[in-house]
Amino acid sequence: MTRQERAAWLFVAPVLAIILLVLVLPALLALALAVTDYSIYALADLSALRFIGLGNFTDLFGTPLFWRALGNTALFALFGVPMAIGSSLAAALLLDEATVRWKPLWRVVLFAPYVTSVVAAAVVWQFLLNTRFGLLNYGLGLIGIGPVDWLGNPRASIPAILIFVTWKIFGYNMIVFSAALSAVPHDLMEAARLDGASRWERFRHVTLPAIGPTLLLAAVMSVAGFVQLFAEPYVMTMGGPSQSTVTVLYFMFDEGFKWWNLGQASAVALILFAIILLLTVVQTRIGRRYEWL
Amino acid sequence: MAGAAGLLAAGCARTADRPLQLWAMSYEGDYAPLLMPAFAQATGIAVEVQSLPWTASHEKLLTAFAGDAMPDVLMLPSEWVGEFAMIGALAPVPDPRLLAGLFEGTRAAGRYRGRDYAVPWSVAPQAQFYRRDLLAAAGFGRPPPAWAEWRAMGRALRRRRPDEWVFLMPLNWWDALFTFAGQTGAAMLRDRDTRGDFRSPAFGAALAFYASLYAEKLAPAMLSTELQDPFAAFAQGSFAIYPRSPAMLLDLKRRRAEIADNAWGVVRMPGPNGPGPASGISASLCVAAGTRRPDQAWALMRYLTDAPAELRFQHLIGSLPARRAAWTAPQMQAPVLRPFLDQMAQPARMPGVVEWERIRIEVQLVAERMVRGELSLPAAQAMMDRRADAILAKRRALLDTGLVA
Amino acid sequence: MAVIMNRRLLRTIVSNALVASIAGLTLVPLVWMVTVSFMPRGESSHFPPPFWPSRWSWENYHELLVRRLIDGAWFDYRIMPALWNSLGIALAATVLGLLLTVPAGYAFAKLRFTGRERLLRLLIAALVVPTQVAMLPLFLAFKELGLVNSYAGVILPGLAAIFAILFVRQTVLGIPDEMIDAARLDGAGEVRIFVSIVLPLLMPITVTLAVFLFLASWNDFLWPLIVLSDQHRYTLPVAVAAIAREHAGDGELMMAAAVVTTVPVLLLFLALQRYYVSGLLGGSIKG
Repeated sequence: MTRQERAAWLFVAPVLAIILLVLVLPALLALALAVTDYSIYALADLSALRFIGLGNFTDLFGTPLFWRALGNTALFALFGVPMAIGSSLAAALLLDEATVRWKPLWRVVLFAPYVTSVVAAAVVWQFLLNTRFGLLNYGLGLIGIGPVDWLGNPRASIPAILIFVTWKIFGYNMIVFSAALSAVPHDLMEAARLDGASRWERFRHVTLPAIGPTLLLAAVMSVAGFVQLFAEPYVMTMGGPSQSTVTVLYFMFDEGFKWWNLGQASAVALILFAIILLLTVVQTRIGRRYEWL
Repeated sequence: MAGAAGLLAAGCARTADRPLQLWAMSYEGDYAPLLMPAFAQATGIAVEVQSLPWTASHEKLLTAFAGDAMPDVLMLPSEWVGEFAMIGALAPVPDPRLLAGLFEGTRAAGRYRGRDYAVPWSVAPQAQFYRRDLLAAAGFGRPPPAWAEWRAMGRALRRRRPDEWVFLMPLNWWDALFTFAGQTGAAMLRDRDTRGDFRSPAFGAALAFYASLYAEKLAPAMLSTELQDPFAAFAQGSFAIYPRSPAMLLDLKRRRAEIADNAWGVVRMPGPNGPGPASGISASLCVAAGTRRPDQAWALMRYLTDAPAELRFQHLIGSLPARRAAWTAPQMQAPVLRPFLDQMAQPARMPGVVEWERIRIEVQLVAERMVRGELSLPAAQAMMDRRADAILAKRRALLDTGLVA
Repeated sequence: MAVIMNRRLLRTIVSNALVASIAGLTLVPLVWMVTVSFMPRGESSHFPPPFWPSRWSWENYHELLVRRLIDGAWFDYRIMPALWNSLGIALAATVLGLLLTVPAGYAFAKLRFTGRERLLRLLIAALVVPTQVAMLPLFLAFKELGLVNSYAGVILPGLAAIFAILFVRQTVLGIPDEMIDAARLDGAGEVRIFVSIVLPLLMPITVTLAVFLFLASWNDFLWPLIVLSDQHRYTLPVAVAAIAREHAGDGELMMAAAVVTTVPVLLLFLALQRYYVSGLLGGSIKG
């Protein structure tokens, strides 16, 4: 082994060991756990543990609440990703305007919600969204929209949480998009302008292709983020009303740590993994087709 | 890594000189510190109390047990005792004198496989608090004791004040539904508690009555998380009837400025043909199996469940002593306690299986969906049975192998 | 000419006004959080919702932060211990995270060793594994190791920061090889090269990474919620969530709790925002 090689291992071995021990091995063990019926009875007495093959998965597929959690999570991702990416992009485009002044200040302000703790921000928004005394309904009332029962109506609860999440995270991708926008070739933009291309055409044919890869990466990360929603419903709605905000992860937490069905919960975790993997692959494929990658 | 190891070592070393740990939920947890100076004075044992939020206590206690971080003494709702005894988290009661002179029915919930694991601490049967002024205006001296008349009173109140509600029963609280079910005598589980029995006519009657209160807009389809301050809503007259445990007495005392003493009264919950067995959260005290100071833990247990401490607690938070001897004290003769005492003589029997807590929550969730018009009565009952059966699957399997009695 | 000037002026006004109002709306929840936290108890539950306290009161902070003696017994939300726990855990996670990932990122970029490319590919693949998949077995393993309900148990999973390794590697790739080779020819050891030549160059992104790691640890919720059971060990988000579930009605008190949880990181962010934001911008935008 050369000196360089020895040093390299000295540098990488500790972190690789930790990754192996707290991420890779447990993830593999999750596979093993998912084929057992580890439950509270096994916590009492390990002899109550049985191998049940795919039993947890067939059980899950027969559990309405699991499907509901999947459906809720799908709704969160389906509406949340465009909402979050769209507002980030809009803010980034606006900040990219040559006429806007004090850009560093606005960037910091718009980014601020991102650094707050989800739990604390959720507590604040729980009050903002209050039906009677909330600022949001007060603001809506000023423009003539009647009070919305944000966190109490099963149809309004997902939009309510989405508004909160968008507020919380849009600043992050806004910064990422700002970086990408600054790399859009200037001469190309000027050429398009001279050719008489409209604002939209310039965006569509110059800006979008240039920021495509960044947009795709942000979409992939956002999908993963929305699929892993947990703290928001935990603090704001406890999964209600009518279980309309029970997400896959919330379901996993309840199943695993509230009721101690670790086998079942592991199966949920693996399904979550499969979903994220699948979505990533699909999005990457789409990206390749449009030659963004 | 050295840093992490150091943190770990520091974490383990401090248990020896820590005060005795007591964990309790809700008001019991908030106010138990007030009982401790007297105990510390008498025994020289320092006690530290941690208050757990109700809604997160089940998982907190389970992870504490799994992580070997249990307190020395803990409060459990009686329905959980069997579950925690089964996993070996609790120490059996060593001295039968601790269990002497208790109200009938309170001791049964603390038994598991023929041994006692809990000492009943306070009993909290449900009763209904009502607004005297609002009822009087509609021509009622007190809420009628039978369902049909009770609901008719609700309609009358609603007609007089169409913008306000009558019954304050948040959709995520299971108390009201299970009180009604207890009154009909519904068993709720069958086949040696291995299957749901929610399709029984008795439970159906209770569920139908429960849902009708929402369908007729007498109670709002709301969660407790939305009602920012239920007490304030009751005090401001947005609701005329508030079914609750004796803990309400503490709120009424603390927030006397918001509602005058003569503006409210309390009677037993209505039954199909008059009051019957009602459910409630009864609190028991247990000693953790893994406590390193069992003598001190049992001393604390003895002190807390003895009549003087129970009476002090009754005075502080309104909870009702489980010890008969305490009820002869002058403070227990107050008229507001009468309905609770009567109710205690008639407790509802709940199934004693470890899965019960979860089943009850699932049943309430289904009931919520029915109230919101997503399910018909038969569909809701069928779904309740399906969910209960699924939760009990493991128990059925273990019964066959004899691992569970 | 005048028309063009006017259009430009109009655009300047419109775009600036638009940015300012979006920024204002974004700040409303945060400002409101602070003002409500200073309102006397119960004041926020009125219509129309008040935005400014009728009188500035410290009572919520007092109730939240100060252990109070009532009738000879202590009442305590244990927010101060949670604050110290959060601070200690976040600092430890940051320092350990940097010690582990910065050298590793450098090695993956500049040091030749067998299996490097394969390991790198594996790391990138492992990026897709959501940490939640590992949580349940990890809990059982920590249970056996006695790490449940310990600070080490909270910190350890966060140290597997693959993204941080790749982030450092990306930056190190930009350092010219000649610099390092020159030092090698001078006979400097590998560790010394890293410490005295590479590390100073990496200072800006190390600060960026430190802020990332600190924020991630400070704001982490699910894992601390699972692994901590004793209130003495709670981190701030776990403690605040526990109070929120029990005291949802006490708006002003909860806002004070939210302020205590968010203000430290907001200040840290403001102090270091140049590094943090520029780290995200990838150095492509100045100022």
